[in-house]
Amino acid sequence: MMSDRKAELERKKAKLQAIREEKERRRKEKEQKDVEEATVRAAGADKDHRKDLDAMLSSLGVAPVSDVLSSLSSMNSLTPEQSANATPDASLQPSSINSVQSIPGRRKAPRDLTAVSVAHTDIPPKEPVVYSKQTQTAQTTHTSHDGLSTSSSAYSIFSSCSTTTPTHSCSAGYFETDWWRPRKGGSAPNYLSHAFGYYDEYNLNPGLEWEDEFTVLTFDDGQAEDEESSLPHMDGFQSKLPPGILPHGLPQVKEVQPAVTQVEQEKEKEKPKEVRELSEEEKLMTILSEEFQRFLDRSSRVVERALGESVDIYTDYTGIIDGEDGIDEKSHQRLSLNRSFFCDRWSRNRCITSLDWSPQFPELLAASYKNNDDTPNDPDGVCLIWNTKFKKTTPEYIFHCQSSVMATTFARFHPNLILGGTYSGQIVLWDNRVQKRTPIQRTPLSASAHTHPVYCLSVVGTQNAHNLISISTDGKLCSWNLDMLSHPQETLELQARQSKPVAVTSLAFPSGDVNNFIVGSEDGTVYSACRHGTKAGVTETYEGHLGPVTGVSAHAVQGGIDFSHLFLTSSIDWTIKLWSLKENKPLYSFEHNGDYVYDVAWSPTHPALFAAVDGSGRLDLWNLNQDTEVPAASVIVDGCPALNTVSWTPSGLHVTVGDDTGKIWVYDVAENFAHPRIDEWNNFLYTQQDLKNNKADEELDKLNLSSGPSSLISMPSLSGPIR
Amino acid sequence: MAQEVEETMKRIQSHKGVVGTIVVNSEGIPIKSTLDNTTTIQYAGLISQLSDKARSVVRDLDPTNDLTFLRIRSKKHEVMVAPDKEFILIVVQNPVD
Repeated sequence: MMSDRKAELERKKAKLQAIREEKERRRKEKEQKDVEEATVRAAGADKDHRKDLDAMLSSLGVAPVSDVLSSLSSMNSLTPEQSANATPDASLQPSSINSVQSIPGRRKAPRDLTAVSVAHTDIPPKEPVVYSKQTQTAQTTHTSHDGLSTSSSAYSIFSSCSTTTPTHSCSAGYFETDWWRPRKGGSAPNYLSHAFGYYDEYNLNPGLEWEDEFTVLTFDDGQAEDEESSLPHMDGFQSKLPPGILPHGLPQVKEVQPAVTQVEQEKEKEKPKEVRELSEEEKLMTILSEEFQRFLDRSSRVVERALGESVDIYTDYTGIIDGEDGIDEKSHQRLSLNRSFFCDRWSRNRCITSLDWSPQFPELLAASYKNNDDTPNDPDGVCLIWNTKFKKTTPEYIFHCQSSVMATTFARFHPNLILGGTYSGQIVLWDNRVQKRTPIQRTPLSASAHTHPVYCLSVVGTQNAHNLISISTDGKLCSWNLDMLSHPQETLELQARQSKPVAVTSLAFPSGDVNNFIVGSEDGTVYSACRHGTKAGVTETYEGHLGPVTGVSAHAVQGGIDFSHLFLTSSIDWTIKLWSLKENKPLYSFEHNGDYVYDVAWSPTHPALFAAVDGSGRLDLWNLNQDTEVPAASVIVDGCPALNTVSWTPSGLHVTVGDDTGKIWVYDVAENFAHPRIDEWNNFLYTQQDLKNNKADEELDKLNLSSGPSSLISMPSLSGPIR
Repeated sequence: MAQEVEETMKRIQSHKGVVGTIVVNSEGIPIKSTLDNTTTIQYAGLISQLSDKARSVVRDLDPTNDLTFLRIRSKKHEVMVAPDKEFILIVVQNPVD
């Protein structure tokens, strides 16, 4: 039977096949065993199972585990250093160790993870861009570095990394994407269930591993600037780490924590040492150096000005306003005290002999002082420059010399030079540019110059042709060139009748005149004189005062009508007299004062206004257009000191008064009072006419007085002045 | 000359509200002071640093410019700093009159 044979044949074939297969299987098993035994023998006894893994991984084309583990273990050995600073490490460390330990015993998935972490470090440099775009990442990296790391922060780092995984065709990528999907999407895919246990357990571990890597590296990098040299055992890691990530978190650690405090501590330690370096001698040397002097002179001036400014920049106008009745009261006053200048060191008990204003800097006031009897060791003569612009109460410049300064003036065309005429007869020159309080130049004490006290000093002329005129009490006038004070350019003896020398006490040049001048003398006579011409010397004599003349003031206001021939004199005979150069007799005599009148000064702005001071401490302002009998405004200076000098500010809005105790008083003159109305010049002319008429009437009265009652004759002329 | 320095210091100190005056050299070492030692050292070190910084700010903004004066206004005090090449003058005052 054919069918029977066939069936038998097939059965035999099948049997044969089964036998062959079994044989083949046994052979394979045997071969495998042999291979395994051989590898075990070849590997060292200490790391046998690692080698085992290596062999298996290498067969799969993955980097050997031993490399990764060694780097991980080295990492773990570093973390304790950091744990002092960063708190999370305490909780972190065991977990990372666990993960390391558990890796060999685990299934394939965890092994793949470590491999991934290594592979991940191959992220190209453009990675940081992704980082910075994700705000969440930026924040969490900060917190993680601040030691506030949580699982979420770890996760965020991981997830941000995982977004880049598509660029890698790594086999491990599958669970990495799983990592963020469940969180972001909120639904866990079913096919991942086999890896879910791993996921749950690794909720912390992989992320922390990542962060661990970062923090460890960051810290090390922060401490040792050159990571390659300091951490040679981490070479493999560094080369695989993305270059963009490391610097990202670095500066915070580096700058905030140890570096700054260390530097500051060092500095603070150094400081006390440095201070001790300067001994008293060294300090004194520094103080005595010219550089220091110059510095202190300059900076102290600035600081004092700044200190003087009392303006409160925090004034709050929404607050309650204080009652400011005082200001209203003041504005009604024609004369009110503004301030006073006094220097305890240099002006106490020194009589002020003269005042002058700087033509270049209208706020600067020069004041000359006599000697102080209480301090014989101090220089006799003092000249202080005060500043009316700033509220500082100390002088701007201090100058002194050996002899009392009787007169001072700014060298009109040299803003830095101040001149002084002294009691000894010397004329001294100070310069505020040099660090010197003593004169930089002085005239000789010889017969060619002054040998008597110089009470009068004046600079006359123009920018290119000016002279200093000085007159001493022996009547000698010297004309000086400021460039050469060794010898006077001209001298002139002022002599009255019978060649009697004129004891000059005061001097005035009519406005615009450089040749003619007026001098007051000790014998009470006033003289006019001229410097040049055929009749150089005294030209006219004006008699009227009964005592020494203390002050002369020439009318200085320019205007429609020329009053330059008018001048005023003050005298110890308690009177002030108004004169015209054209008449030998006074136009008028002001006899209101009850003491020596020490000085008189025309206002620089108002044609009919002048100020006068007397020994009882009274300052009078006379407005001749208002009244000629009594002063328009009068004030008694505090303490009633004898007032020696009076001077107007160039603006005509302030009157300064110098007393005999060294104090300068600055008074404000009410604006409506100081500024002339347009008709003041004409009015002043009428006033002069009135005064003339009155004088004529008085003389007539005197004549009539000898004959009989004169009231009937004088009355009509008084009531109707001729105009 | 040393007298004049004393005089100047006294004059500044005599201003109303002035608490202290210190002169410091360029290294921040006090040369003269009216304050006690600790305060002086503290002010000297800190203010000279601040002044250096302020100067560098001014110069960085405009190389042709330079710092001339520095005022620090605080709730309690006002510190005035007058810096120079070699020295710094520091004046501390109570701005409240």
